[in-house]
Amino acid sequence: MYLVANIETEICAATSCKLCTQYCPEANTILYDNEAGQDKGFKYGAAYVAVDRCKGCAQCVWVCDNMAKHNAIKMEMIDQIGDTALTENVTYGEKTSSAVLANPVRGQG
Amino acid sequence: MSLDYVKFTPGFGKFMPKEYRDMVEHGPFGKKVSVSQVGTFKEILEEHPMCAGCAMTLFIRLAMVAFPNPEDTITVGTAGCGRLAISQAAVPFVYGNYGDQNGVASGLTRGLRLRFGDRPKDVVVMAGDGGMADIGFAQTLHSWFRKEKFTTIMLDNEVYGNTGGQESGMTNRNQVLKMAPLGKKFEKMDMLGMAKVSGCAYVATVVPNNPRRVESVIKKAVLVAREIGPSYIQAYTSCNIEYAIPTDKVMEDAKTVETDRYKFTEYITDEAKEYLSQLYGYKEYLPKPAAAVEKQ
Repeated sequence: MYLVANIETEICAATSCKLCTQYCPEANTILYDNEAGQDKGFKYGAAYVAVDRCKGCAQCVWVCDNMAKHNAIKMEMIDQIGDTALTENVTYGEKTSSAVLANPVRGQG
Repeated sequence: MSLDYVKFTPGFGKFMPKEYRDMVEHGPFGKKVSVSQVGTFKEILEEHPMCAGCAMTLFIRLAMVAFPNPEDTITVGTAGCGRLAISQAAVPFVYGNYGDQNGVASGLTRGLRLRFGDRPKDVVVMAGDGGMADIGFAQTLHSWFRKEKFTTIMLDNEVYGNTGGQESGMTNRNQVLKMAPLGKKFEKMDMLGMAKVSGCAYVATVVPNNPRRVESVIKKAVLVAREIGPSYIQAYTSCNIEYAIPTDKVMEDAKTVETDRYKFTEYITDEAKEYLSQLYGYKEYLPKPAAAVEKQ
């Protein structure tokens, strides 16, 4: 198994910083859903990771911890996360993107 | 070379891969996008084989977002790490033989101007420090002296990262590398000085730990190259393999290097200032009112 970035929606949706989306070296990997926090009563949306593109460099973790100081991103084993976004489940809207969450490990099998 | 080349052939759309469909339907073509919107649209850069956490990848990604008209842009590159990512984008990529990139771009720019006349077609050269300052040095400088109108971007990782860590002209003095065990004996080349001497209209240094600044610098450089003359950007894009930087510390290193020896600098000619302020509304380059000049 291998490590990928996992963003805590509750912490992320409480802010509108979006720094991790700008600092990820991989394109189309950390995406942003404007409506992610609405169900839980948060003001902002949240970033999420398309785990099949994440190379596990943890640059977003450093940016979130040290520049944004939100500590919302952790590196976790792919089989420990549960349901996550995959590129094939991502939909781009007019000003947002969203994903139907799926279990990447089960999906591969 | 227009918006047509990113459309489906009628009837074939449903057979295309998801990435392609996303690019056509939600890509940046024909729209104005900015770095603050990334994550909400499909970027033109695709998956590529560059190392995890590479700062060069981040810079290339930001540069691709910053292109003012991606549908009218052609990138030119050469051997080196950068081309592994630059070639994986939804803009045409021309591969010059090692060191030939600025020569190839010169011909390409002239050809595009003959073919398309006034409609701007941007040519952007992105190559490493070895391809530009060592092996392609003559062609790079000659293209500047000839005032060829295209943008040259140096991805300066200060080492030959692709071939095991040899010193390049842009490596710092006394730097010890795997293939330079005694340390480099000469100073880092002053490419910025040479760019100014040879007549570049816009010259800037940038580090990718400030995405908005990268965006602004690339936009200006590409716009200046349309009408005024050559533009040159030198970007510090560390090699985390050869310089042994842990991937999660790459931005920390970028920050340290930026404050230490790679400060943001910008050189712009008066002609380019006037052009940017008149045509593209860059207010910072508008001539200062007489009262403000007197106060200084």
